[in-house]
Amino acid sequence: MKYLSLIVRSLFRSRLRTVLTLLFITLSVFLVALMQGFLGTIDALTTSAASGSRLVVQDKASFTNVIPESYGNFLRAQPEVEAVTQFQWFGGEYKDPKNFFANFAVQKDTYLRVYREEAGLDSLPPEQVRDFLMDGNGCAVGKSLADKYGWKLGDVIPLRSPIFDMTVRLNVRAIFKGKRQSDEQALIFDLKQIQEAVPWMKGRVGSFVVRVKNGRDIPKLSERIDRNFANASPETLSMSENAFNLNMMKMFGDFGTMLHSITSAVLVAILIVTASTMAMMIRERSTQIAVMRALGFTTGRVMSLLLAEGLLLSLLGGLLGVGLAMAVAKVTAGLASAVLPWMADFYIQPDTLMLCLVCTLALGLLSTFIPAYQASRKPIVEALRAL
Amino acid sequence: MNGEPIIRLTGLAKSYYRGTLEIPVLTGIDLEIPRGGYYALMGPSGSGKTTLLNLLAGIDRPTGGELEVCGYRLNDFDDNELAGWRATNVGFIFQNYNLIPVLNAYENIELPLLLTDLSRAQRKEKVLEALELVNLTDRMHNYPRQLSGGQEQRVAIARAIVHDPDLIVADEPTGALDAKNAEEVLNLIQHLNEELGKTIVMVTHDPKAAHHAHIQIHLEKGVLDRTVEVHELPHQEPIVKGHAIH
Repeated sequence: MKYLSLIVRSLFRSRLRTVLTLLFITLSVFLVALMQGFLGTIDALTTSAASGSRLVVQDKASFTNVIPESYGNFLRAQPEVEAVTQFQWFGGEYKDPKNFFANFAVQKDTYLRVYREEAGLDSLPPEQVRDFLMDGNGCAVGKSLADKYGWKLGDVIPLRSPIFDMTVRLNVRAIFKGKRQSDEQALIFDLKQIQEAVPWMKGRVGSFVVRVKNGRDIPKLSERIDRNFANASPETLSMSENAFNLNMMKMFGDFGTMLHSITSAVLVAILIVTASTMAMMIRERSTQIAVMRALGFTTGRVMSLLLAEGLLLSLLGGLLGVGLAMAVAKVTAGLASAVLPWMADFYIQPDTLMLCLVCTLALGLLSTFIPAYQASRKPIVEALRAL
Repeated sequence: MNGEPIIRLTGLAKSYYRGTLEIPVLTGIDLEIPRGGYYALMGPSGSGKTTLLNLLAGIDRPTGGELEVCGYRLNDFDDNELAGWRATNVGFIFQNYNLIPVLNAYENIELPLLLTDLSRAQRKEKVLEALELVNLTDRMHNYPRQLSGGQEQRVAIARAIVHDPDLIVADEPTGALDAKNAEEVLNLIQHLNEELGKTIVMVTHDPKAAHHAHIQIHLEKGVLDRTVEVHELPHQEPIVKGHAIH
């Protein structure tokens, strides 16, 4: 501790340069934390335990096509199946196209069984469940979504869908709390509303979601379903819900490879910039370092002090960077969840924070080591002569 | 004054190497300096006086001969042992003061004490004593850039004595000062010698500065040329082997 003042003041000897380097590290760590946090969020989305017990059955050609409702009979008859629900993306807009959120038309009773965790069925008051099931125009909305638009039970919500060119007027009958923020970003209502209003939707659904008794049965069940409809029109494509979510993500590009590549590039940039700054800082002070060694500071002690400067610089940058990333992630989650519901779960995971800090400290140490080693071993007489 | 010399050099030699080419800087230096002596090393540029001072201070290593300072044979020490030895036995005064610019006067003086086991309070007591000695108590919070050259050198002197070393080495301590400040600094160094009993070895070009010393040692092309007694060494005749005192 008695050297702390010396370390801090030496580090900020050239204030502008140190502050600029600190800003660079902060922004770099911020970027890395944000990107890795984003990947972590996607990873959580595609590996959730509940999703692991569900499989999605869709048109083989495209998930935007519809499939016959009658396919559900075969699905329900399979011994591994616990429940089957029907699903259709509605894409409705509330009052204004800007008010966009996830809204699905579903088979209501089976939806609550298949998505009991996401719909918070355990905590949903029975009278709300009953009202939701009984009212043909009833809808259930996530609490976050209801809070956002100020909806209360009994409110009427008009939703206009450009896809089906229709408007539904839905009564809020249930407000559910999900396990995750993203679960509460959706609105669900009865699929019959679309099937009755849109001729080409009669007897058809967007997809089926099947809940299985044991998640391990998903591969063989998927294979069996697709084999059964192999010669039908349309053919099906079945996959675990996690795989389905992953495919949806991949539609936006290969995030993983792209973000990992950027992360690597940013880390290398931190190393180069910090090494350059520390090398300059240490070279400028070679005479001072020689004086300290003449006074009796051993090479080990001098090196420790210099390494401590590098560590302090990277620690400050790392902390500021992850702090900024956490704040931005929180704001982003709030804003982006309106368009991408799963973004409501966006946050910087603790292991990502630790990874960022450890990487930054390691880079700080690495970038300081060589100049510190050279400076602490340069002959004192030679360094003094350089004055 | 103690009869045992604080510095004993026997056949001391130092050479630098450029590739395989040996460039001798000092050869066959035999010298004994008594405890409490004030010696000025003089000679033209390249005569080896600074090299000799560096060897005495333990910041350079001889390539031949014996080097014994403050009772230790420095030839045997590794780098860490030398550092520990310097921290206890030697105080440095440089021509350009060499204060740490990010530390104020107080903190600069405290620097050698950070290497000791002294508590914060004990360190403070010693720093304040040193500041008082150089008459800069009122400037203790000033940074080097806020001090004049003379004041900076006085801070450097305080730093050199704060840990109470036996030997103080000074390399052209007045080289960067005007006449008035130079005189003040020389008086201060003389005070360290006369009142505190510190052994002083000072490299200088300046005959006026050298006149403050008891003994002037003149080097010429890396060998001891002559030794001049300026003032009588207190209580004891100087011990300079192999050279007559003029």
